[in-house]
Amino acid sequence: MKLYRVHSDSGDAFIVAQDQKDNKDRLKTENNEFEIEYVGQGTREGEIILKINGELHRVFLDNGWIILDNAKIFRAERVTELPTQEGQTLDEMIKGKEGEVISPLQGRVVQVRVKEGDAVNKGQPLLSIEAMKSETIVSAPISGLVEKILVKAGQGVKKGDILIVIK
Amino acid sequence: MPPFGRVLVANRGEIAVRVMKAVKEMGMTAIAVYSEADKYALHVKYADEAYYIGPSPALESYLNIPHIIDAAEKAHADAVHPGYGFLSENADFVEAVEKAGMTYIGPSAEVMRKIKDKLDGKRIAQLSGVPIAPGSDGPVESLDEALKLAEKIGYPIMVKAASGGGGVGITKVDTPDQLIDVWERNKRLAKQAFGRADLYIEKAAVNPRHIEFQLIGDKYGNYVVAWERECTIQRRNQKLIEEAPSPAITMEERSRMFEPIYKYGKLINYFTLGTFETVFSDVTREFYFLELNKRLQVEHPITELIFRIDLVKLQIRLAAGEHLPFTQEELNKRARGAAIEFRINAEDPINNFSGSSGFITYYREPTGPGVRMDSGVTEGSWVPPFYDSLVSKLIVYGEDRQYAIQTAMRALDDYKIGGVKTTIPLYKLIMRDPDFQEGRFSTAYISQKVDSMVKKLKEEEEMMASVAVVLQSRGLLRKKVSAPQEQAKPGSGWKNYGIMMQSSPRVMWG
Repeated sequence: MKLYRVHSDSGDAFIVAQDQKDNKDRLKTENNEFEIEYVGQGTREGEIILKINGELHRVFLDNGWIILDNAKIFRAERVTELPTQEGQTLDEMIKGKEGEVISPLQGRVVQVRVKEGDAVNKGQPLLSIEAMKSETIVSAPISGLVEKILVKAGQGVKKGDILIVIK
Repeated sequence: MPPFGRVLVANRGEIAVRVMKAVKEMGMTAIAVYSEADKYALHVKYADEAYYIGPSPALESYLNIPHIIDAAEKAHADAVHPGYGFLSENADFVEAVEKAGMTYIGPSAEVMRKIKDKLDGKRIAQLSGVPIAPGSDGPVESLDEALKLAEKIGYPIMVKAASGGGGVGITKVDTPDQLIDVWERNKRLAKQAFGRADLYIEKAAVNPRHIEFQLIGDKYGNYVVAWERECTIQRRNQKLIEEAPSPAITMEERSRMFEPIYKYGKLINYFTLGTFETVFSDVTREFYFLELNKRLQVEHPITELIFRIDLVKLQIRLAAGEHLPFTQEELNKRARGAAIEFRINAEDPINNFSGSSGFITYYREPTGPGVRMDSGVTEGSWVPPFYDSLVSKLIVYGEDRQYAIQTAMRALDDYKIGGVKTTIPLYKLIMRDPDFQEGRFSTAYISQKVDSMVKKLKEEEEMMASVAVVLQSRGLLRKKVSAPQEQAKPGSGWKNYGIMMQSSPRVMWG
């Protein structure tokens, strides 16, 4: 099994676990699972045929853009393979360890409201991220002690970046 | 003869391009203005001439009256079109344009001042016999008075700022405790945002529809109503999808509104285009007046399509003092089919519609039968974070509503924008929703459906990321696709060989 991080063109990051067997791949993402079979080349130049969860889909590549069924587009800026750690469950790999606070969006950190060593309650605001003039407040997913703060005010963050670790 | 020679469009983006198209068609010179952020914008390139009006923030450029008047004088403009938003309903701007000796394409400053705020509008509505929601007659002085009145008309109620606009300063209140909470805060917010702390209350309609009527008038007291637009699909009081005619009302209900709306126009000597916004209750079958918008609306193209008229050209002609070219009866006969407009916003529906600014790196517009594109961007355009997130509008037309929805599904699939997140994927889901297809919705539609739709959108994104992994791991993602030109190259090149040899210096001198 391999683990990948896919960075999209608009700054989103997706963690995808891939299990490859012959032409069939089982893929697991944060909320979903897919079975994708590579069927082969289509009858048109550059056409790739995939079977996603049993349904046929046609893919073309246009200048790095993946175009699915001539309707959906997606661009993977980078696809990087991540090291898999022994003893880590799949859910942990995808969602991050419990207590890792992950940025929900791309933006700029406005204010960090806690210090390392602070005790925080579940739901307590930790920091705010600004994107296009609207502020999003990130709150603590669990109660505990702030072990590490990996960002500071004014820093740009991407979706999926680890911001704070709570223990 | 065109009514003016040179028309300055004091706006940006999609609407500036739309107005300039009408200006060009009428044989006039289209003049644009631009801020620092819009240096390379489409509306600037599309214009015949363009003038710089200041730095990127709207307050220093598109809302800066002296700079825009300077540009208009430098350009020797005869008329100024305000578009929508920005200065389009600003009486001071109208006055400045009139003082500079130019024609303002819209109502006069005098007319605009007659309905300064929402309460003035309500008072005139009452005079002209338009139903208004029960509530206070004027600003409510104190919290005690508000509580008493709320008890009388019954909860839920809306607390509104008298001078608010664009969905700002409106709060729904369900209980007396909530009213106590909201009162002082809204007063302070209204003071900050609009300079006046006046609040008023009215009864909130339960799951209403938002239906607006298009009023057209000339300077001689003639009026017609170009039917209605249904703008019920909204989130946070911002419209997303509009359609004409409304699937919910009958011809009888529609024409019942014509007389009171003419009367409203006559009372304030209104002319050119105005939009009469109402909430419509499916239960009482009544329209309750909200406000009169004194400008061209974002959603004007759907009215244009079902009547096959050009509202912008008409607006320019009426501002120049021409007479209304048709009567209500003639207009009624022109109505055909159904039209739907989609506001393509650079917003991420998955992340609570947060704005998504950036460069548009992939852009394919839909074309073909029944499709109209009003766009302010193209491939390589920058969507700046300073202004509204509306980048373009997709408008579809069909023989009836069902055909229009079919065209919409096809056109939304054809519309591909990359680089910024847009609302297109969400609209694709809405078009396939049986509740939308059968016209069963209220203004709460988006908030009711958003969770299940966001789940589907997330699944789609994760599916595309998975496809990327599948292609990458098979070496297909970065595979160079041979360009068609290279394939078209002839194999031998025998015809050119001699010419090439002759033109080479080696042959001549060697």
